[in-house]
Amino acid sequence: MKALAKKNLADALALLAGQATVWVPAKVAGVTRFAPWSPAVTLDLEATPPAVSPKEILLPETESLYRYSAYGMDVTFEAVEQEVPPTIIWGIHSCDVQAILCQDDVFLSREPQDAAYAKRRAATTLVALACTTPGPDCFCTSMGLEPAEHASTDVQLHILTDGYGVEARTARGEEIVARLAEKGLLVETIEPPAKAQACTRAVNPEGIDKKLVEMFEHPYWDELAATCLNCGACTFLCPTCHCFDLTDHRRNAHEGTKIRCWDACMFTEYTVMAGGHNPRPGKKERVRQRFMHKLRYFPERYGKWQCTGCGRCVARCPVHIEITDVIKEVGEVTLDG
Amino acid sequence: MKELHNVNVAMRTLARELLESGTVAGVYGWKKGSRPTLTSPLYIQDAAKADRLAYDQYAVSNLSALLLDHRNNDKKRAIFVKGCDSRGVVRLLQDQQITPEQVLVIGLPCPGMVDEAGSLLTKCAECRFPNPVMADQVLGGVEVSKQPSAPTGVTAEAARKVGVGSRAGERMAQVAQLEGKTAAEKEAYWAEQHDKCIRCYACRNVCPACNCRDCIFDTEKKGWVSKAATSSANAFFAITRAMHVAGRCVDCGECERVCPMDIPIMTVNRKLQQDIEALFGPYDAGVDETVVPPLGRYQTDDPEEFL
Repeated sequence: MKALAKKNLADALALLAGQATVWVPAKVAGVTRFAPWSPAVTLDLEATPPAVSPKEILLPETESLYRYSAYGMDVTFEAVEQEVPPTIIWGIHSCDVQAILCQDDVFLSREPQDAAYAKRRAATTLVALACTTPGPDCFCTSMGLEPAEHASTDVQLHILTDGYGVEARTARGEEIVARLAEKGLLVETIEPPAKAQACTRAVNPEGIDKKLVEMFEHPYWDELAATCLNCGACTFLCPTCHCFDLTDHRRNAHEGTKIRCWDACMFTEYTVMAGGHNPRPGKKERVRQRFMHKLRYFPERYGKWQCTGCGRCVARCPVHIEITDVIKEVGEVTLDG
Repeated sequence: MKELHNVNVAMRTLARELLESGTVAGVYGWKKGSRPTLTSPLYIQDAAKADRLAYDQYAVSNLSALLLDHRNNDKKRAIFVKGCDSRGVVRLLQDQQITPEQVLVIGLPCPGMVDEAGSLLTKCAECRFPNPVMADQVLGGVEVSKQPSAPTGVTAEAARKVGVGSRAGERMAQVAQLEGKTAAEKEAYWAEQHDKCIRCYACRNVCPACNCRDCIFDTEKKGWVSKAATSSANAFFAITRAMHVAGRCVDCGECERVCPMDIPIMTVNRKLQQDIEALFGPYDAGVDETVVPPLGRYQTDDPEEFL
C-alpha cells in the first residue's frame, strides 16, 4: 500500500489546493468543522466526529437560486449561476460518506434531479479517513457501517503509526493519488493499518422499520415528545437531514432573490400551509416525523437507514433525546394484536 | 450521590401521591440518562412511572420553559426545581404565562451541577441563588430564600466543598475582558461567533424568558427577518434575543449550555445585567414576583442621558 507521511500532509494539501477547494476538518472559532484548507487553517483530524458535518459543502445553509422582478405585467427571472470549483472533502469519516449517499438518494436518484446539488456533487471528490477511535456517542457499526473504511469513497486513508495508508477506489481517486505520487509525497509501506476500536454505543435497529409501520398512533410518541424543546439542533447537526425552505430576499415589493435555506421538521412553521392549517400541530407530530423519516420512510423509499450513527444529535440534544434510545425503545414496545 | 438518596426516595413518593390523588396532571423532573453522568428531563403523567425520577449533580436542565406547553390548560403540573430553575418559574408567573393555580413548585437542595468530567459548572461557581426563591413545598431540608445566600439543606456541605457560589464576585469577569477590547476587536469577535450560529433556536426554546406566543423569528412572512442563516441575519437574531430578555433573563445559563455551536451567549446576557444595574440600580430578575423588571416600568427619575 502507498503511504503519506504525516510530515508530508501539509505539502499534499497545498498541492491539491492548487487545483481545487480542499475542505478539511479544522478548528474554527472553537468548533471543529470543515473549512477550505489554507496554510492558516488549524487542522483537527482527531475529532470523532467533527462537531459540524460536511453537509453544508453540498447543501449550503443558504443559497441563491434566481433573481426576479415583477412590475405590473413586466415579469423577469434570471437564474443565479453558482460557480462550483473542483472540490475535495479530505478527512471525511464513514458516517459522513454514508450521509452523502443518503443525500444522493434524495437529490439525484429520481427525476427531476436537483440541479444545484448535482453540479456540486459532480465536482466533489471524497477522501475518507479511517475512524479508529470512536467518540462517546458513536454507533455507526450499529447502523451497518465500518468505521475503518467506506466502499463508496474515492480515496480511503488508513491510519498508520506516522502517516496514512492511501488507497484509491475510483478513477477520480486514482488521479489524486497519482498527483501526490508524482510529487514524491507517497512511499510504499507494508505496515498494516490500525484497526477500529468498537463503537461506544450499540443498538440493534433490525426490523424497527417494519415495526414503526404499526406505531403511528402509539402513545410512545407523546412520552418521547413531552420534554422535546422543538429546537433544530438535532436536524441541523444531522448529516442526512436535508429539508429546506424556498423563500425570498426581498429588495422591495417587486424585486428580490429566491433563496433556499435549511429548514427543519422540528419547527412549527415548517408545515404551516396557506390558509393556516398545520398538519403537524404539536410536538408529538413533529418528533414522530423526525424518527419516522429516519427509521421508516427513508428505508422504505431508498432501502437504507437515514441515520449513519454519527451521534451528533445524541451529543447535542439539549434534553438528551437520543436516537439510540428510540431505536431500543421502539424495539421493546409491545404491539396489540 | 449519597446525600441525595433520601431526596430521591421522597421525590418518587411525592410524585406518586400527587398523580394518584389527581392533585396534578403531570410532573416535571429528571431521570437517569444513557450514561451515569447524564441526568435528563422527564415528564410523567402516570403514577406507576414515578420510580423513574432521579436527581443528582448531573441534573443541570432547567425544566421551567416546558411549562409553557400547558399555558392554555387549566390543570396543575408539578415541577421540581433547583435555585436557578425556580427563577424560571417566577419569570413565567410574573410574565403571566402561567398562573399559580397551574403549577406546584417543589424546591430541591442543589449540590452544585457538574459536567460529565466531574468539574463544577462555571454557572454554579458563580451562583448567588442556590436555594429556591419560591416553592410550594421543599424536600431535603432546603430553605426558600429571595436573598443571595449560601446553599442549604442536605447537600449544603457538599455544595460548599465543590465551590458553589465561590466565584460569585467574578461573574462579570468575561464581560470585563471583552469590554477591554477596542470596538473593532469586539465587532470581529462577535462576527466570528454569530457566523457559527445555525439558527436552531435551542437557546430561545430552552429559555423561560423567551415566552412569546409567536416569536418574530417564526413569522417569516411578515418580512422582519430573513430565514437565511447569513452573518447579518444571525447577528440580528442574537441581538434581538438578547435585548428581548434584557432585565428579564434569570441567569440560569441554559442558552449557553444548549448552544451546539458553543456561542458565549451568557456574556451578552451578563453585559445587559451589568448595564441595567448601572442605570437602574441592583436588580435580580425572577427572584421577587412583585418587583417589576426595570425595563418594564417607568419612573420620573429614570436616567435619560441619551435624550
